[in-house]
Amino acid sequence: MASMTRLRVTDRLSGERLGDRAPAAETATAAPQPNERSVVLPAVTPSRVRGRTALEVVVAGWQFELEVEDADLADLRDRATKDRGAVIHDGPTEVRAIIPGRVISVDVTVGDVVTVGQRLLAVEAMKMENELRAPREGTIERVATAIGQTVEPGAILVVIR
Amino acid sequence: MTVTRQVPPFGTVLIANRGEIAVRIIRACHELGMSAVAVYSDADAGAQHVRLADAAVRLGPPPPTESYLRIDAVIAAAIASGADAIHPGYGFLSERAAFARAVEDAGLVFVGPPSAVIDALGDKLNARRAAASVGVEAVPGTLVGVPTERPDQVAEAVAMADRIGFPLLVKAAAGGGGRGMRRVTNSAELVGALAAGSAEAASAFGDGVVYLERELRPARHIEVQMLGDDTGRIVAIGERDCSLQRRHQKLLEEAPAPGLTVAERRHLHELAVRVGTAAGLRNAATAEFLRAPDGAFYFLEVNTRLQVEHGVTELAMGLDIVHEQFTLAAGRPLSDVALAAAERAADPDGHAIEVRLAAEDPSRDFAPSPGRVRRWVMPAGPGVRVDTGIVDGDRVPPDYDNLVAKILVHGQDRAMAIDRLRRALDETEIAGIQTTLPFHRFVARHDGFRAGDVSIDWVAEHWDGPAERARSVELAVNAAARAVTAPDGGDQSQPRVRAEAIDPAATTRAVVAGPGPADGASDWAAAARAGAIDRWPR
Repeated sequence: MASMTRLRVTDRLSGERLGDRAPAAETATAAPQPNERSVVLPAVTPSRVRGRTALEVVVAGWQFELEVEDADLADLRDRATKDRGAVIHDGPTEVRAIIPGRVISVDVTVGDVVTVGQRLLAVEAMKMENELRAPREGTIERVATAIGQTVEPGAILVVIR
Repeated sequence: MTVTRQVPPFGTVLIANRGEIAVRIIRACHELGMSAVAVYSDADAGAQHVRLADAAVRLGPPPPTESYLRIDAVIAAAIASGADAIHPGYGFLSERAAFARAVEDAGLVFVGPPSAVIDALGDKLNARRAAASVGVEAVPGTLVGVPTERPDQVAEAVAMADRIGFPLLVKAAAGGGGRGMRRVTNSAELVGALAAGSAEAASAFGDGVVYLERELRPARHIEVQMLGDDTGRIVAIGERDCSLQRRHQKLLEEAPAPGLTVAERRHLHELAVRVGTAAGLRNAATAEFLRAPDGAFYFLEVNTRLQVEHGVTELAMGLDIVHEQFTLAAGRPLSDVALAAAERAADPDGHAIEVRLAAEDPSRDFAPSPGRVRRWVMPAGPGVRVDTGIVDGDRVPPDYDNLVAKILVHGQDRAMAIDRLRRALDETEIAGIQTTLPFHRFVARHDGFRAGDVSIDWVAEHWDGPAERARSVELAVNAAARAVTAPDGGDQSQPRVRAEAIDPAATTRAVVAGPGPADGASDWAAAARAGAIDRWPR
């Protein structure tokens, strides 16, 4: 499965991005001071954003509500969000996986004409189905995945021209 | 060897309170061989004080006016449960002369001063006059109310204010917890402040009488614990420094007050006993003073009840004040233990500090933060005492005072007590609600506090809540990233949270966060304003 290179931590209440961290062993072994021990609990209510883990973290008596996700994935999502608002251009548009998971349905084939928002395929992750919809109108030029395939964030799934 | 046991002062005692103080009094009842009857509102049906008591009686719905403030319901519960005495704790009905009188009229014993004394001292103007009558100087100001209905009264008020000097405070005669209080910096502001203070006092206490008092700055808040028996003998069991406050409410108390000489202590204790004697005090009460920068003590008021912070006196002086209250209420004379404590009160051996953990956010001006406690690890070990009514998973209801625990430490001297406080607070873990813990940790590490340099402005001058919270963001982000990291580099579909931190039961419970109808905890602050009748126990 995905080996995350960076983790993005967001303040749940303000939405503020607090920072990116390597999930590597060095952060896991950097022992906090005795007076800076942390308590980490799963949040009472899960994140509304797919792919994010919601946590309650208490450090030095301060309570934080945080959400953690793969930073690359977050970047992709942000870019996808930006693309959706962009004017339609003539070049091909690559639809990429924004979360790791397993493809559970493919709803288009090469040559199909799609409209904005039309469902292209679905990826299952963390027992949730995540739909991918067409960011623009056009013709399906290529379908790069199939049902049952495991995909990584950033993998090209469909190309629309 | 003969074993002698004291005859219990009473058979059954009803505790007309909730939370940590109800738990603390139930413990004293059981130690003395008495049965304890709890009362509760629907918000507290499963609370610790109900679980620990030998019997429990429901009073009504959560609002205090429909439960803990109902004199008729409390008396009926006492009679129905066969109680001989009622301990009121602090707050709620503890300083209502009408309640003490109703208890007396029902043929029960009120564990506290007689109703007439509560009545007399509950009026701060009355108390100021009582002090003046025995030569104890009160904070400079008026000894009578300052009405402003008529133009000549307004002119007189301005003249009085000019004599007292600015800045000054408008205070409510029936006041407490800063309600009805207004700060006035010049005579132009005076009339408006008098009217506003009077209106607030009338709505909070049903008594709009206000008076003027000079604002002493910088000042320390120092109070004297008193015990008195039916023979009229009154002793001082040492003093407490309660200077660390926010919104006129205490955050930390210690005994003895740092930096006083034995002679100064003796003088202060003598002032308190003089006021207590003049008022005909019995049982337990506390005389509050301000200490001006020149070292002079000015009388503020008398609290005719067990004080929240009584525990620091117990630790520093080596006695149990609640035990003493019960034996005194039963008509017994001051105990040998109490007399011995009074004897060494001016020169005590050890030092004790209490912090009040409250469900408040110290980064948002100590805003209330009720909710469900998801992790509750209290400190222990040498020299540590915790008084609380909370257990893991409890909900802190929005209907009542937001004190969730008192952490007390005791050491051979003040430095050791501070070291223990720092250590104890580092052991403390609370999740689910924001508490004042970060503030207390800050104090325990502060050089100025360690030097004994405290005043009632200390919090405003030294505490920058948002900046302190910001310091911990980095560590919180690291902790979150660590928690989500899968050590085996494998399946990311499940969050990795430090195993010892997971309480499966807690995760299924709803946490009340922010406005919303869940658990009826929509707005604690609004509830506090609406429930204006309770005089908060400070």
